Amino acid sequence: MATVTAAGAVSALQAALAAEDAAIFGYGVAGAHLSGTIQAVAEQDWTRHNEARDTLTAMISGLGAAPVAALAFYRLPFAVHDAASAAELAAYLEDGVTRAYLGLVAVSDRRLRAFGALAMQVCAQRAAFWRGSTQAFPGLDPESSRTPAN
Amino acid sequence: MLASAAALPVLLGTASCRSEELFTGPDPLAGPPRPAPGVITLQAVIAAEQDMIQLYRSAIGGGLAAARAPGLEALLAEHQQHLARLRARLIVPPGASVSPAAQASSPSQAPPAQGSPSLSPGASGASGAGGAGGPARGRVTIARLRAAERASAAGLVQRLGPVEPALAQLFASIAASDATHVTALGG
Repeated sequence: MATVTAAGAVSALQAALAAEDAAIFGYGVAGAHLSGTIQAVAEQDWTRHNEARDTLTAMISGLGAAPVAALAFYRLPFAVHDAASAAELAAYLEDGVTRAYLGLVAVSDRRLRAFGALAMQVCAQRAAFWRGSTQAFPGLDPESSRTPAN
Repeated sequence: MLASAAALPVLLGTASCRSEELFTGPDPLAGPPRPAPGVITLQAVIAAEQDMIQLYRSAIGGGLAAARAPGLEALLAEHQQHLARLRARLIVPPGASVSPAAQASSPSQAPPAQGSPSLSPGASGASGAGGAGGPARGRVTIARLRAAERASAAGLVQRLGPVEPALAQLFASIAASDATHVTALGG
């Protein structure tokens, strides 16, 4: 049971790490189309994702697993050619990282649940900034976030 | 009659039958079993969400600047979505008792919000009772809403541990939404 629990935690941490790596790549693309204060914000967020990646890498190594390596290239969901599309990409990336941390909330280890939940909050706040609006259920799939019929 | 009544203990003793062996199983006079811990937690979260909704209604109807109302309405709509989703998780068997807070009539559902625009920080209006959440007393200011959202997000994270994974994920998602509300309210 302990082995299964640890394997589940490692899997969830690896997924979060992969999302962070993708966000780091994507922010590099988005930042190139931003300027001034807004570019400084993107730079800050890029730095935060790097720090999160380092934290996750250490956690995975601490559990005796090899952290998944970042890819050299990530396919972006849409073309980025101006500030508006750059902001849209940043929001998309943050949504993806939020979803990844949601997976960590499902593990049985309580400290990892709290860690994942707090990371979700930070990512959701950044997503709301880039999107210009909030959401009722950050990280949850839009289908599952709809109220089921009673 | 007296003779037979007097003879009863002797007869029972003869049959090696002790009173505690006559009936086994749950005590039928003890009342219904307590709800599982996860159910109690969910009921508490539902009650807290209802308090939050009441706080927003008080803020919107209580004299905050009209310019803030659209933003607050959108955040209120998201809390109403939270409440609906939480209630959908509470399964009450027929005849079982439900906490009064969880059973309160559902507030009118606003259309699903597309998202609330960020509210610009500024004067919070007349100062009212401080504190986060709880039943709305006195004028509700933006600062009080912000504190309530912050407390709600923190409280939900504290409740994650003992509940089932899917419910923990819902709590975490709602907490993340509350965190974005703090920012939207100028926090």
